[in-house]
Amino acid sequence: MITVNINGVERQVPEGTTILQAARALDVSIPTLCYHPWLKPFGACRICTVQVQRPRGYELLTACNTPCEEGMVIRTDTDNVRQARRVVLELMLARWPNVPVLQQLAAELGVEKPRFRSEFCDEDPEACILCLRCVRICEEVVGASAIGYEDRGIKRRVVTPFNRESEACVACGACAQVCLTHHIKFEPEDYRGKPPEFLLGPNTAIFIPTPQAVPKVPRIDPEACIHFKTNGCQKCVEVCEAKAVNHEMTDQEIEIEVGQILLATGYELFDASVMSQYGYGRLDNVYSALDIERMLNATGPTGGRVLLKNGQPPRAVAIIHCVGSRDENYQRYCSRVCCMYALKFAHLIKERCPEAEVYDFYIDMRAFGKGYEEFYSRVLHEGTNVIRGKVAEVVQAGWSKQDEGTLLVRCEDTLIGRFREIPVDMVILCNAIVPQRDAERVARLFGLSRSPDGFFLERHPKLDPVATSTDGLFVAGCAQGPKDIPDSVAQASAAAARMLATIAKGVVEIDPVRAEINEEFCSGCRVCNALCPYSAIEYLADKNVSRVNSALCKGCGTCVAACPAGAITGYGFNDRQIQAELEGLLAVR
Amino acid sequence: MPYRVHCMVCAGTGCVSNRSLDVRDALEKELRKRGLEHEVQIVTTGCNGFCAVGPLMVVQPDGIFYQQLTTKDVPQLVEEHFVKGRPVQRLMYTPPEAPAPIPKMSDIPFFKHQRLIALRNRGLVDPEKIEDYIARDGYQALVKALTQMTPDEIIEEITRAGLRGRGGAGFPTGVKWRKVREARGEPKYIICNGDEGDPGAFMDRSIFESDPHSVIEGMLIGARAIGARYGVVYIRNEYPLALERIQIAIQQAREYGLLGENILDSGLDFDISVTRGAGAFVCGEETALIASVEGRLGDPRARPPYPAESGLWGKPTCINNVETWANVPPIILNGWEWYSQIGTERSKGTKVFSLVGKVRNTGLVEVPMGITLRQLIYDIGGGIPGDKKFKAVQTGGPSGGCIPAGMMDQPIEYVAPDGKHEARDYLDLPIDYESLTEVGSMMGSGGLVVMDEDTCMVDVARFFLAFTQDESCGACAPCREGTKLMLDILTRITQGHGTMDDLRALEEIGWVVKQTSLCGLGKTAPNPVLTTLKYFRDEYIAHIEAHKCPAHVCRELNTYRIDPVICVERGHGCGVCRRECPEKAIFGEKNQPHRIDTTKCKKCGVCVDVCHFNAVIVE
Amino acid sequence: MKEQERFEPRIIGFLCNWCAYTGADLAGVSRMKSAPNVRVLRLMCSGRVDPTFVLRAFQLGADGVLVAGCHPGDCHYQEGNYKALRRTLLLKRVLRQFGIDERRLRLEWISASEGEKFARVANEFTEEIRALGPLELTAALETGPALELEEVRA
Repeated sequence: MITVNINGVERQVPEGTTILQAARALDVSIPTLCYHPWLKPFGACRICTVQVQRPRGYELLTACNTPCEEGMVIRTDTDNVRQARRVVLELMLARWPNVPVLQQLAAELGVEKPRFRSEFCDEDPEACILCLRCVRICEEVVGASAIGYEDRGIKRRVVTPFNRESEACVACGACAQVCLTHHIKFEPEDYRGKPPEFLLGPNTAIFIPTPQAVPKVPRIDPEACIHFKTNGCQKCVEVCEAKAVNHEMTDQEIEIEVGQILLATGYELFDASVMSQYGYGRLDNVYSALDIERMLNATGPTGGRVLLKNGQPPRAVAIIHCVGSRDENYQRYCSRVCCMYALKFAHLIKERCPEAEVYDFYIDMRAFGKGYEEFYSRVLHEGTNVIRGKVAEVVQAGWSKQDEGTLLVRCEDTLIGRFREIPVDMVILCNAIVPQRDAERVARLFGLSRSPDGFFLERHPKLDPVATSTDGLFVAGCAQGPKDIPDSVAQASAAAARMLATIAKGVVEIDPVRAEINEEFCSGCRVCNALCPYSAIEYLADKNVSRVNSALCKGCGTCVAACPAGAITGYGFNDRQIQAELEGLLAVR
Repeated sequence: MPYRVHCMVCAGTGCVSNRSLDVRDALEKELRKRGLEHEVQIVTTGCNGFCAVGPLMVVQPDGIFYQQLTTKDVPQLVEEHFVKGRPVQRLMYTPPEAPAPIPKMSDIPFFKHQRLIALRNRGLVDPEKIEDYIARDGYQALVKALTQMTPDEIIEEITRAGLRGRGGAGFPTGVKWRKVREARGEPKYIICNGDEGDPGAFMDRSIFESDPHSVIEGMLIGARAIGARYGVVYIRNEYPLALERIQIAIQQAREYGLLGENILDSGLDFDISVTRGAGAFVCGEETALIASVEGRLGDPRARPPYPAESGLWGKPTCINNVETWANVPPIILNGWEWYSQIGTERSKGTKVFSLVGKVRNTGLVEVPMGITLRQLIYDIGGGIPGDKKFKAVQTGGPSGGCIPAGMMDQPIEYVAPDGKHEARDYLDLPIDYESLTEVGSMMGSGGLVVMDEDTCMVDVARFFLAFTQDESCGACAPCREGTKLMLDILTRITQGHGTMDDLRALEEIGWVVKQTSLCGLGKTAPNPVLTTLKYFRDEYIAHIEAHKCPAHVCRELNTYRIDPVICVERGHGCGVCRRECPEKAIFGEKNQPHRIDTTKCKKCGVCVDVCHFNAVIVE
Repeated sequence: MKEQERFEPRIIGFLCNWCAYTGADLAGVSRMKSAPNVRVLRLMCSGRVDPTFVLRAFQLGADGVLVAGCHPGDCHYQEGNYKALRRTLLLKRVLRQFGIDERRLRLEWISASEGEKFARVANEFTEEIRALGPLELTAALETGPALELEEVRA
């Protein structure tokens, strides 16, 4: 620690503290322009000039980059200091008279009317004042060094190399953030083709997915993070008091030994863009069910309002059922939940856009659950138009200006036996619920079968919908088939109960079907050792025989069939039993 | 058979551009024609310093000095001097108002008062032959330093000798070397600052062109003292001849094993590379120079840390000026006591000055510290030509200030270092670092511009400020904006549009730029303005209030008038001026007095130039 | 006189418990029509099928043998069906040596949900064997003459 004297007050500061830092700790104000706490002090503006007493006189130094020395006597309020700061500011105002941050500083320092006007005067209120914070942050924090300056002296300008678009720029916006005059502007481009207000993705590289996320902690998007592009920044690491941010985190494989597994890996939504006739991903204002769920959510991009891409509420909305479900070409099954959420959408849209017309295009209205039919009636009473028929296509209404934005839904209304063309502003698709795209891999991993629709196969469709053919392996939720929330909860509770029951029992009965080696007959040929898929057979070298570990043996019988000496017995399915069966089966004509 | 005569032909840039090499070639041819090529040796040397009278040649061993030679003089020279043994008086130097020429160089006042240490070998060695340097005790100091002294002893020697940085700041060299030696970091670097940006300065260029090995030897001794591994010679791009000669010298030193590994079996590893500048004055500033060597933009940076702690590539670096390095070998060879007896109490040794401007003998001189301005300007420089009155001398280039002549009968008060008040004339000021600073100027790199009554001090200030303003790097606001604003004000004043407020503005802005700029360029740029304002304020006021330039340099403020009497009686109304005037502003007829219409006159001054009778009066 | 009874092949089906047997069960539950000629013998895994079982079946009067297990990669015991595949291929060559038409031995992959496939295979295989005719490998039977159903019931 060293002692310094600022404006008559003595203070102890750690070695290496600059005069500016020491002054701020003492609440002594020193004006700055080019100083920024994240950057190495540069000393370009000289506004932070202070007076330091020397043995013979004094010296004017910049506070931001001068380290304190033992016994230093510093004054921030002498006439010299005031004069120096004032004139430096006048010099800057001679160049940029209309920049707000300079005018503000002028008012603080008592400069009333600037006396000078430079030959290179720039009257733009957003002129660059050469504080160089942008250049420095790009080099020191971001690590991209994408901008610099050209020419020297009064002609110095901040530019990208050769005045061309910089390839090193990672579009992080740091330069715009530190610019004092808004000379640098940052305008984010459409994220995934959608305007920024409709952002369904993160706004920053480190973000909390939604206010309702569980767990509600931030995560880093490696595609957007500056550190992964340039090895710089890491501001988040600096500011996190809990030291919880770690860019080096990698996926870890953890091995846990368990006795039972519940697979609740859920579903995926059918990608409606393959059904090009509906225009998803091609036409504006055609949304999937999940898109609309997000829009309706109070924490979503629109705050829960129903809005078109142009920010206006829709005049008419079409909701198309069975997109990809009950379809010869895609999924033949019914996705079970869509009719009810379609009615929910219709209800909410009517509530939030009372003037809007809502059209539901359905094949059958499946309102099978508790209170569902009553809700359907209510929605009809609210004025939702239900049209029974498949929608052939969704097209733009026309090419004229007044048609711009309007979509036409072309469908067959089977109840009146006519084709109809209904103009709407927004189309909502009820996508089919399909198995996750890695369902085959997962099934193979766990040794599960899948039903023809691709979802995991339960042990018995009526009597055992939560278990699978493998003991200890259970399925619940949409992994087993499309279902809504009450049903998923019920199934999950059932599976959990089954699993807990087994755990509560404390002991597990092993199947009696297993193999055993008769060590008298075994000659130690070891053919069986390699065959066992569970590595349940070990070879005892001292006895020159093989032995089955009955805890590991699953009783498949492969070794039994293979043993040349016939030394292995498969309990429950041994040779004599099978022979007897054969005899019995073939005894009758 | 050894040569009986050596002709040392000057091949410094000044003489070369005056065709001294043609003279040398003619000399060669003539000697061969006469069959004398084995008796008379021609040595091409570096600059002798007396650039006003080049091309020049010194005939040794007698030391006969020939000047202003042309190829036509060669046959007579060979015939008379080398064959018949009669030196040619016509080609010798005759001072003005002297009865006879002075044959010997050592008698000529220009040379007599000089004391050569840094320039000890000028005119005596061929700079492209290392053998010449070695023959004049070259590299002896290195041998002594490597074999008889420890690094600490070398630093001690330099410290006690009192050598100070010759680049301008005058920082004690021994102290700097000790700082770098004690700093932590490997490898350590040595830099020779050959950027020499001051306009008109050519001290360092001369050293490179005449005696490059003196720099190399100095750097080697420095490397041993501080433990450096690599050296960099930073030389400005505009010195092609100097660049060529230092590169040749380095190559020759390497061939002799004086650069490289295990030099002279002493265990010292050291080699030198050359980096060229790229046209920026600011790169003479040490942190900007280091940036330039590292390949970055040549902008200075704030200090601390100083280069002695963290310099080139972040390692401890010792930067010294060319002239400083050239002084090192003699100090080591002759000892600190010898050196400390030359010069003043606080400034030891000698300094190379470039003496230019309104003085008879312009050129490069090396004089002991403490010599007075009067001796420099009158004894060595030969006084002001044309019987003009001496007005001021500008020292330190664009970073320095001017010292007025003062009124002869009104001595200026001078405070000596010991505190005694004395009445002195500025001309009798003994020159050293402190005395110049105390009168408001500075030593700088050694530029000395003499001014007479025909020099406008406002214009001089504007000239120097235009240079520094153009060379400003633009990083800090006061220098970037302040120098431009001051220059605009000065330009307006020279054009007759100045106000008294402008003077106050110049002083205010100048003070702030001096106090708050980031680097030495900004801190010293206002000096010429501030010193001329202090000593020649009346000239500024004349420009502003009377709209007149007393020296008639600022054209816009001149009035041109034809004296009718002279025009008719002497010129007979010849009408040349009328015909030459580009604005057709002169009226008159043959044998009639001519008149200038001042409303049309653009003050170009052509009429003054073309009138054979000096009938045009400038007021 | 009784019309010559159509030859009804007797086929033994070795079905693995997890896939093929469950698939056959599904066929039944789904009321699919499948030929009764396939007499099912349940094993835990198709890899349990010892080639001697197949030979014994032929010896005891089977006209055809069907071995059905899980699809490759889906075996409940990981690799048992691969063993079955290897053995079956080799066994077919052995059968040829014995003069038994190798088409009488058939290996099929039937998963638990492929009830329809089981029915189809059963029907097809039955017709194939019917077309091949009875095997009549009755010589050197150690088990004695074939019994009529009534005798068994007695």
